[in-house]
Amino acid sequence: MSTTKDFIIEQLKSEISGYKAEISEKSVGKVLKVSDGIALISGLAEAMMSEILMFKTEEGEVAGVALNLEENQVGAIILGDYTAIKEGDEVHATKRILEVPVGEAVIGRVLNPLGEPLDGKGKVETTKFYPIEKIAPGVITRESVKQPVQTGIKAIDAMIPIGRGQRELIIGDRQLGKTAIAIDTIINQKGQNMKCIYVAIGQKESKVAGIVAKLQEAGAMDYTTVVLAGASTSASLLYIAPYAGCAMAEYFLDKGEDVLIIYDDLSKHAVSYREISLLLRRPPGREAYPGDVFYLHSRLLERACKLNKDFGGGSITALPIIETQAGDLSAYIPTNVISITDGQIFLEPDLFYKGNRPAVNAGLSVSRVGSSAQIKAMKKVAGKMRLEAAQYRELAAFAQFGSDLDPETKKKLDRGQRLYEIFKQDQYQPLAVAKQVLVYYALINGFMDNVPVDKVREFEIGLYKYADLNDEALKMITEKKELSEEIENKIKKLIEDYKATVDYLIK
Amino acid sequence: MKISAQQYAKSLYDLVADKPEKEVKVALKNFVALLGRNRELNKASEIINVFTALWNKEHGEVTAELISARELGPTAREIVTNYLKERTGAKKITLNEEIDQKLIGGFVLRYESKVLDGSLKTSLEDLKNKISN
Repeated sequence: MSTTKDFIIEQLKSEISGYKAEISEKSVGKVLKVSDGIALISGLAEAMMSEILMFKTEEGEVAGVALNLEENQVGAIILGDYTAIKEGDEVHATKRILEVPVGEAVIGRVLNPLGEPLDGKGKVETTKFYPIEKIAPGVITRESVKQPVQTGIKAIDAMIPIGRGQRELIIGDRQLGKTAIAIDTIINQKGQNMKCIYVAIGQKESKVAGIVAKLQEAGAMDYTTVVLAGASTSASLLYIAPYAGCAMAEYFLDKGEDVLIIYDDLSKHAVSYREISLLLRRPPGREAYPGDVFYLHSRLLERACKLNKDFGGGSITALPIIETQAGDLSAYIPTNVISITDGQIFLEPDLFYKGNRPAVNAGLSVSRVGSSAQIKAMKKVAGKMRLEAAQYRELAAFAQFGSDLDPETKKKLDRGQRLYEIFKQDQYQPLAVAKQVLVYYALINGFMDNVPVDKVREFEIGLYKYADLNDEALKMITEKKELSEEIENKIKKLIEDYKATVDYLIK
Repeated sequence: MKISAQQYAKSLYDLVADKPEKEVKVALKNFVALLGRNRELNKASEIINVFTALWNKEHGEVTAELISARELGPTAREIVTNYLKERTGAKKITLNEEIDQKLIGGFVLRYESKVLDGSLKTSLEDLKNKISN
């Protein structure tokens, strides 16, 4: 037996005699000043940019990050409890850049921006760490966006298609359903081979708790991570939250997987960065934001990408959210982010209060990637439909003034009214792409012209139910992703059969 | 614009470096008069600190603080002095020794903005942190 007492003691003795206390030289500084989550430190001559600094306080160690390297002092943001830090406390540099835990273990978790759990499920069990700041992938590693992200929202998938690797801004006033679009999109990613990361920046914790509960209910937490920096968190954590979320996404990107990341919202992120910058005494510019506020968002959103086959073929799709004040798109942060992203989904209060929800303004919303991020079947119906929508908007404004309309115009207006009825969609009810194709096909081919406008939604819901019962056509669309003549005939027959069962058609 | 303590110390050093004693006396008198005129005599202690650091740097002198649990013998002192000479390239080392029994054993050496912490107290704390995590 090798595990006798003597053996163990012998081993212990040899271990002890071989033990050497490791001491290494540390670069240290002293706290000159602490205020509002910011510390000024003297010494620390060898500190690196965004290096983790440890403050030795009476209540244990507190972490910070070096942000300002000056001739005689270092400015740092404090990530823990800054009230524990006192003037004269010792600070040492760790020679590590700020990093977060990444890996499969983060999925299904609610974490703070440092990767610490907020859901009471214990520590994140992973050995991998990624730095939160990373330079975005270069030109040779990328390729153009071509696969769709199905949001499950009819108005968006048809008119403002989003591709994997795209950056699409969701912009609008408060309470118009910006987050709802993002959450519906996450719910719809079930079975689409997509990991989701929802970064809540400065959101009410009650709201986030509601979102997490909803995601759990929909089974979406199986592939989703929530990074939460709530409204009561310090500006320094709000500032690093989106970068931390992006680092977690990059792990899956490097594995060649597709990731969807939502930054909710970047206007609060900009505000927290403004707070830090002003406290660090960086000069304020327009709206008191510092000079590098554009770079703040551009370097973050540039990390969204579609990599080509040689580099794993993964993608990060970013859906940043911006909250405007009274629809002011020309404020500083909205214009910045609009110019960085590949298009925006613009939500409008007028539409919202008229009951058109989601309140997507089809005229001001664009996707610069365009139809290359749609499946063939959708491309076929959406092209015609977009034209109908545009014509309707034009005519509707004009037709308000007169009642005598020629039959051609009347027909277009009727068609448009029905189209806008179809755009209406309840929250948490994302729709499969095959069903979207089905309903749009019914509309543009005139099958719905004799359905009364107030019955359109009823008709639509019935159509889906009927199609579920006879799901051959839907299956074929999902598999082939195109509209061959065979499939078209099947759809036509399906719609006609269904219409024979309803009794409210206009004769 | 306000003149910082660093700037004062730097100009003071330029004034007095490699000058005969007589000139230094005059320069110092004028310097203090200037401080008084600018109403910045309260910066004096800071200026002295910076000036000392500057002087030491220019003359290859390093002042280090050596804190130990027990009185150190000459061999230990020599090892530390040699270590500092090697690390900093200084010609002259001034050791300010201090006894602090709270360290339990070992020593702590501070120089410039560096710390070499070989105390038993810190080792025990590190061990405690490692075990509790």
